[in-house]
Amino acid sequence: MDKLYLVARIADTRVALRSRSINSVVTVGTPVEVPAAPPHVSGLFALRSRVFTLIDPHVVVGLPAVPVAPGQRVVVVDVAEHGYALLADEIEDVCFIDAPETRITGKLLPGWARVAEAMIEHEGQSLLVVDPSHFITLPSLKAA
Amino acid sequence: MVVPRILGRTGTAMDDLLNDFLAETAEILAEAGGALVAWEADPSDRAQLDAIFRLVHTIKGSSGFLSLPRVTALSHAAEDALDQVRRGNRAANAALVTGVLAIVDRLSQLCAILGKKGSEPAGDDTDVISVLSVGGDAPEVPAETAEIQLRREDDLTADLQGWRSIRVPLPLLDSVMTGVTDIVLSRNEFARMLRDSGAAPSLIASFDRLSDSIAGMRQSVSQMRMQRIDKLFSPLPRIVRDLAQDLGKKIRFATSGGEVELDREMMENIRDPLIHIVRNAIDHGIEGLNDRVAAGKDVTATIAVSARQSGNQIEIEVRDDGRGLSPDAIVAKAMASRILSAADARTLTPREKLELIFRPGFSTAAKITAISGRGVGMDIVKANVEKIGGIVELRNEEGRGLSVVLRVPMTLTIISGLMVRAAGQYFAIPRGSVREILLETSDTVRVERVGGGELVTVRGEQFPLLRLEAILGRARDHRDDVEDRALVLVRPGQGQSYALSVAAIHDHEELVIKPAAPIIMATGLYAGTTLPDNGRPVLLLDVQGILAAAAIDASEAGRQMDQAVEAEAAAAAERNAAQLLLFRDTNGRVRGVRLSVIERVEEVPSLALFESAGRIQAQIGEDIFPVHAAALPGDRGTLKLLRLHDGQSVLCYPIDAVIDIVRLPELVQPAVAPGLIAGVVLVGGEPVELIDPFWLMEQYSGAAAGSPERRPVCRLADDHDGWGSNFLAPILQNAGYRVVTEGSDEAADVLLCLTEEGGTCVHGDGEVPVIRLRNSVAATNADDDTIYRYDRGALLEALRRRVGGARS
Repeated sequence: MDKLYLVARIADTRVALRSRSINSVVTVGTPVEVPAAPPHVSGLFALRSRVFTLIDPHVVVGLPAVPVAPGQRVVVVDVAEHGYALLADEIEDVCFIDAPETRITGKLLPGWARVAEAMIEHEGQSLLVVDPSHFITLPSLKAA
Repeated sequence: MVVPRILGRTGTAMDDLLNDFLAETAEILAEAGGALVAWEADPSDRAQLDAIFRLVHTIKGSSGFLSLPRVTALSHAAEDALDQVRRGNRAANAALVTGVLAIVDRLSQLCAILGKKGSEPAGDDTDVISVLSVGGDAPEVPAETAEIQLRREDDLTADLQGWRSIRVPLPLLDSVMTGVTDIVLSRNEFARMLRDSGAAPSLIASFDRLSDSIAGMRQSVSQMRMQRIDKLFSPLPRIVRDLAQDLGKKIRFATSGGEVELDREMMENIRDPLIHIVRNAIDHGIEGLNDRVAAGKDVTATIAVSARQSGNQIEIEVRDDGRGLSPDAIVAKAMASRILSAADARTLTPREKLELIFRPGFSTAAKITAISGRGVGMDIVKANVEKIGGIVELRNEEGRGLSVVLRVPMTLTIISGLMVRAAGQYFAIPRGSVREILLETSDTVRVERVGGGELVTVRGEQFPLLRLEAILGRARDHRDDVEDRALVLVRPGQGQSYALSVAAIHDHEELVIKPAAPIIMATGLYAGTTLPDNGRPVLLLDVQGILAAAAIDASEAGRQMDQAVEAEAAAAAERNAAQLLLFRDTNGRVRGVRLSVIERVEEVPSLALFESAGRIQAQIGEDIFPVHAAALPGDRGTLKLLRLHDGQSVLCYPIDAVIDIVRLPELVQPAVAPGLIAGVVLVGGEPVELIDPFWLMEQYSGAAAGSPERRPVCRLADDHDGWGSNFLAPILQNAGYRVVTEGSDEAADVLLCLTEEGGTCVHGDGEVPVIRLRNSVAATNADDDTIYRYDRGALLEALRRRVGGARS
């Protein structure tokens, strides 16, 4: 179970998300905007009777925001009893990665450095292991 | 108080047992605290002692079963001491009660740890246990040994099951609520699809039945979240006792209305404010013993906490008979703490002086005490109560006492919201804080731009004007029609108001409110999210937060002073001018009716309407009212009814939506012939058809339910075969008479004799007019004043002549 990862392309980067930190993967319709909210909040959408806050990871890592395409897939996570959804560019697969998580080598962009926790080797490629809960708040904006 | 975390469905059997134990014990301990204090006040109250004994015994029993040695030892010690008292070997005194209370406290602490860790912590309890046994070492005179209990074992079996209920974990309850909300949402989606697909009416009808049962279920689930307010009151006696003892005051404490029910979440929110108010009453309100004697009051003070329900609100009152608030002392104090200038102080009304206690940084105590001077002031109480849509009211009688009234909505989660549009999307405003809704183009509204800011004058009163788009940092939606722009006069708290300009008013809806994510709440503009029936999330605006974000002074005090004269004149004019309720009729037309004839606007399920005797009727609560409609409406879920009232009878008029309330223009173009439409007036440049309530009432006056006490009484005499009560009575009742039988000794206005031909009516008791009925069509002779019993017209005519008529 611990070795189960969701491999996805988030903010133009392939990353691995630990499966236990994820609630589900769903598709969104048109979200409702939240005026005056922080820039990485793309809006609200309802999934059954719950309201989820849609987060644009592009903004979190310092890229310009991208519009939400209807039917786009999102990664649903629960943080402190609130539901959030991270916009994913592409959901690849849920897979079992036996390799150990390793310390991050090399200097990351500040945005990525904050959300990434480790690296993992998968199919001959190094993936960042990110914690979705780090995408929710934006302390880095104060520095910017 | 202990609030155990209930783990719900996932735990093992042992976890479940432990959770049940913790939940039950928390309840018992709270109850025992109150019972102990009551018993201390009246040690001869045997029933109270038995109740406490049972409670402690229950804890001991269950803890033994779960092998919690410390809990068992503690409850055993308390049980032992209480048993001594029951046997008369020991007298009840303050020391004993304090000792038992100490055990109760220790048990609460243990349970709190148990709830967190799942196991009993190691520790020593001899300190609290020895207090009890010391008292036992010196047995006082065994008084009243004669009262030896015989039914001791029976007492123990008389369990705590005074109420028939089961314990349900909160997460389960919440998941049921979520489930039902899901069902409602998919029902709505399904309903849309059904409509679009042009399904057969029979299919739609059966779907509607399903729909109604879902609505009913949603209602029941909301009720499941309700709890008796008793729970909120249970820790109070203990607090009063301890505090009174610390301060050397004598206080009698009483609660009432504990059966009133309140949403569990709401309860959490008013617990602390309530405790704070009670503490304040004891600390500041109740005088010292000497002062009370000097004031000629009973040495024992009284604090009463009562709850009552009024409509959708719960009123909780904390009343004390202490010194009350002194406006002058408050002003002096406020000036000393620099929250008020001397100049401002002179302009305050007595009421405003009292309300200074709600200002941050205010404390009425001459010296800060350990009890209430902890930086938590009435400002926090007020803020907490207002956060949940409630208000705090003061009823002060200087020298004789103070009442603090908390008025809160019954549920937090479902509120009535006004849906508005701005920048192309919808937002909700809590209906409770909306004072008035006006069209921006209405002629009672004057919008001015002054020094970059905007203000609006409505009937002589000025309000700061905020545009919702500007607050949200959005541009106006180009599709919005300027004609639709509306002003919502918002009153976020007492003494504050402003006008919020929105692109359009949508409608009213009952909304299920959920907190939004912290990053969204942090904007300060939103109070939560809600999911209306269309399944698209809507943000609930925080009307207080908007004020803070706009950084404007919205207090009403200043502007009323400048405008006092003008406002008074405008108000006087307003009182004279009739108001017009604008609404959209079921046929889509905009119509108006004088506001004064509207009793209220009802929203009823369409099933409440039925057809009977060729007329459409509506069942509202226990009553049935005629409805002005040619046919039953198709199913529309619910529909709105205007309730017209002419002082005697009620008529319902179905409408599509309420639009606005405006001043009735003086110029009315009257209609040619009398009918539903009395004439046409221009409102905001648009023609509006004016409903004629006179004509409407006239149409339905026969069927309208009159008030019962005005009905003349008609007594049936000689009704041997029951024809009178079976055939005649219904007709008479329809015509507005009340029918009593012969046996009744009620004074009758008219007597109806059903005597056979030739017989004489022996019931003529002098004053009362008599009408005799005959069985044959033809009269026997010219002098015959009897009436053929099936001649309805003649009979009613005769009745009208005799009694002056049921109605003119």
